[in-house]
Amino acid sequence: MNEPMVIPIQAYLIVSTLLFAIGLMAVLTRRNAIAVLMGIELMLNAANINFVVFWRYGGGQGMEGLVFAITVIALAAAEAAIALAIILNVYRRFKTVNVDQINLMRG
Amino acid sequence: MIGSLWNVIWNSVFSGSFWYPLAFVCLSLGVLIPAVLVALSRNMVHAALWLLPCLVSVAGLYLMLGAELLAGIQILVYCGGIVVLILFAVMLTHGLGDPDVRVHNQQLLWGVVAAMAVAGVVLRLLSQEIWQSGPPVAVSEVTGRLADALLGPYVLAFEVVSVILLAALIGSIVIARGDAAPEPGADDSDAEAGE
Repeated sequence: MNEPMVIPIQAYLIVSTLLFAIGLMAVLTRRNAIAVLMGIELMLNAANINFVVFWRYGGGQGMEGLVFAITVIALAAAEAAIALAIILNVYRRFKTVNVDQINLMRG
Repeated sequence: MIGSLWNVIWNSVFSGSFWYPLAFVCLSLGVLIPAVLVALSRNMVHAALWLLPCLVSVAGLYLMLGAELLAGIQILVYCGGIVVLILFAVMLTHGLGDPDVRVHNQQLLWGVVAAMAVAGVVLRLLSQEIWQSGPPVAVSEVTGRLADALLGPYVLAFEVVSVILLAALIGSIVIARGDAAPEPGADDSDAEAGE
């Protein structure tokens, strides 16, 4: 990979910042719990882009950035499975997945 | 072999100062526009499907950064796994698009304001001089070095993540199964949860 890379680091960081803000907006404003989960996935992707960017533009010796990114992807998969199982259970209990209508601690 | 051939093709066709920024701009728009549609779409199935081009474009950004293995994992795990899981969850609940149902809660205005404030603060910080980075370092043998790192100094994290994945697998099955079938003769007050 010796092609000339003329993209400044800030361009990537701006993209990841905007992606994080969009994910935060989805988490804060959506009613459907599954849409909130999608917002969390967007935020995790923004963090992952940052990991890879700083790995590439940083020292370049270690592989910590990529190890972190792979760990984040694996944990995101586990988190999505658990969260969707909880959402299914909540839907079975409350007959809704809107987070502003689920306000009881006991079913 | 294939990698070197790919490098030759890449260097002869797409190198230069024009194609690389163009690819970056296209991939960035491919990340951000579907992300906005995920956040705003009224139909939950559409929102889940808009997640796909967003995640594929993120994989393209990984490719531009030289992390090929991560791009493959991104497509396999996110596009192949998580999006399908989300689609299943959408279809198992009644999240389908109903134009009369509000999709945003009462804090829509403040949520947008908070997200824009976070973006503004971070973008303001990004304009500082400290972020004026030099060109990226040249990397080679990324996948092999990553494998050495994962099974060498970071093998503990690797194993812990595998145990967490196993626990999440079993836990999600147990949680999603819900209440067990009521025993015969038992009080069936919670029989409405049966499958």
